[in-house]
Amino acid sequence: MGRIVLENVTKSFGETEVIPPLNLTIEDGEFAVFVGPSGCGKSTLLRLIAGLEDCTSGAIKIDGNDVTKVPPSKRGLAMVFQSYALYPHMTVRKNIAFPLRMAGMDQSDIDARVDQAAKVLNLDAYLDRKPGQLSGGQRQRVAIGRAIVREPAAFLFDEPLSNLDAALRVGMRMEISELHNKLETTMIYVTHDQVEAMTMANKIVVLQAGVIEQVGSPLELYRTPRNKFVAGFIGSPKMNFIEGDAAQKLGAHSVGIRPEHIDVVEANGQWQGTVGVAEHLGSDTFFHIHNTGLAETLTVRAIGDISLTHGDTIHLNPRADEMHRFGADGLRIA
Amino acid sequence: MANRTIPRLLQTPAVLLLLFWMLVPLSMTLFFSFIRYVLNNLRRPEWTSPSIDNWRGFGNYEYVWNQDAFWLAIQNSLLIVCSILFLTVALGIAVAVLINRSFPGRGMVRVLLISPFFVMPAVNAVLWINMLLDPVLGLQGIAVDAINTTIAGLKDAPLVGWFFSLWPQFEPISFRATQTSAYAVIMMVTWQWTPFAILIFMTSLQSEDQQQKEAAVLDGAGAWSQFRFLTLPHLGRPIAIVVMIQAIFHLSLYAEIEIVSRGNGNKNLPYYIGELVNNNIGAASATGIFAVILANIVAIFLLRMIGKTLME
Repeated sequence: MGRIVLENVTKSFGETEVIPPLNLTIEDGEFAVFVGPSGCGKSTLLRLIAGLEDCTSGAIKIDGNDVTKVPPSKRGLAMVFQSYALYPHMTVRKNIAFPLRMAGMDQSDIDARVDQAAKVLNLDAYLDRKPGQLSGGQRQRVAIGRAIVREPAAFLFDEPLSNLDAALRVGMRMEISELHNKLETTMIYVTHDQVEAMTMANKIVVLQAGVIEQVGSPLELYRTPRNKFVAGFIGSPKMNFIEGDAAQKLGAHSVGIRPEHIDVVEANGQWQGTVGVAEHLGSDTFFHIHNTGLAETLTVRAIGDISLTHGDTIHLNPRADEMHRFGADGLRIA
Repeated sequence: MANRTIPRLLQTPAVLLLLFWMLVPLSMTLFFSFIRYVLNNLRRPEWTSPSIDNWRGFGNYEYVWNQDAFWLAIQNSLLIVCSILFLTVALGIAVAVLINRSFPGRGMVRVLLISPFFVMPAVNAVLWINMLLDPVLGLQGIAVDAINTTIAGLKDAPLVGWFFSLWPQFEPISFRATQTSAYAVIMMVTWQWTPFAILIFMTSLQSEDQQQKEAAVLDGAGAWSQFRFLTLPHLGRPIAIVVMIQAIFHLSLYAEIEIVSRGNGNKNLPYYIGELVNNNIGAASATGIFAVILANIVAIFLLRMIGKTLME
């Protein structure tokens, strides 16, 4: 079980308030991702839940018990750190066994649990090595192994993949998702990478300056972003924003449209412009378009390979029903 | 080839200088240790100049080996070095961990902690033996005297007087005596060298990974477990460095021994060699070679021990 509730939690470092009063519920078994730009307070929030930082005010409840004043080790949570935080002088086996050893468990039980965790994470062959002899991905798995042997109420991940190279990151993303499916334990995952958030989460929590901008499933956030910030943060490439007079004509203070919701047409498009940069990926083509009279650059994603290059004139048709309209306050207009 | 020749040529002066520096004294010592060579002998004046004609083989070694004073010197050297190593490392770790957290005036405390290291060994010895440890005029004498006076005064006090009348009169310890002078040396050198250990351990503690500690906190490790399983292994290498450097320095202690008791009952190997040098250069050289061997044994032994216990 691991239902985590934050009630009016705040955190200040001296005079500066990092997190203004914040309420959030993470249901048991959920994969929640905290996402936001760096410095938005997402790591601080995770550390508050872990107990590595004390709340300035408010309450944190795990399965209905108030744990605000409970020391980190008694909260039944396990954390995986960005730098893995493995104990460098211990073997992989001892690293994974460490929390059990601290809990005073029998050696035979420890061995059984460590072996089981090693099997789940494919670490059997490395148990007698030291962290220094492992690759980044293997170290990450050891860190996860150290977390799962404790059978915690919830797992906390603090940007666990940001030290890995791109290819490995995709692989580990899958592994963590599969682990979540297998264990069905609550997981809270902090990242600044919206792709990780979109691919892994059941529930995304978008944060900016310590404030929750929106909470919802990945597709909810994609389809109906509550404000301009969420609209710009979720989705890759970023949403195009049309401001000023052009937006007024479309009936809003600003209008957002995703690159994949603009169609490239042969001629007589509703919009037209000059291609600045064309990125041909084979499966898709990304155009960065100037001189549209709408925005400085307009990004468009076309499916397949379209043979327009730098300097060509391009005709576009936006899908009217996929436009997002925002008011002067940045909030979505229904 | 030319690429390598030029750097090697440039290195040559330094290498030659080092070889010269090392090899000349060592080979002279070796040579003297195998000949009869004394500074003053009226019956055999030919022994007073070093010459291959006075070859004695292993005679000098045999002579030294059979001296009780030689074995006492080795024993004393080991006692002093091992005690100092243990005390400086233990105190160094304790103090370094203590001042590794932030508190007002930390910079000041650090400077003060390092300062004993800048005192000259001879001055250090004079200060300790005369001002602190002297049984009459030193701090020790004054303190013991004050305690005795206080107890004597309390013996007549109501209610608690009976308790204090059970107490004996305390006697100050004379640290120049045969039995205690080694302890005086251990104390003063520990005081002087603990800052060195603190300095090394402090820099090492600053580089300790904080996320590892946080991970350990979440894993349920208390303060002691964190120290035992994270900090101490992290300090393994600095401890080895401190032990090795100090072992080298303290095997050659001389000034403190001279000042505390003029070697009375407290000769270590260098002091014993120093006494032999007054006349018997051959025997002194043989002892010197023994000292080199001993230093190597100590170094290997200590490094092995530390390596095994701390690196897990």
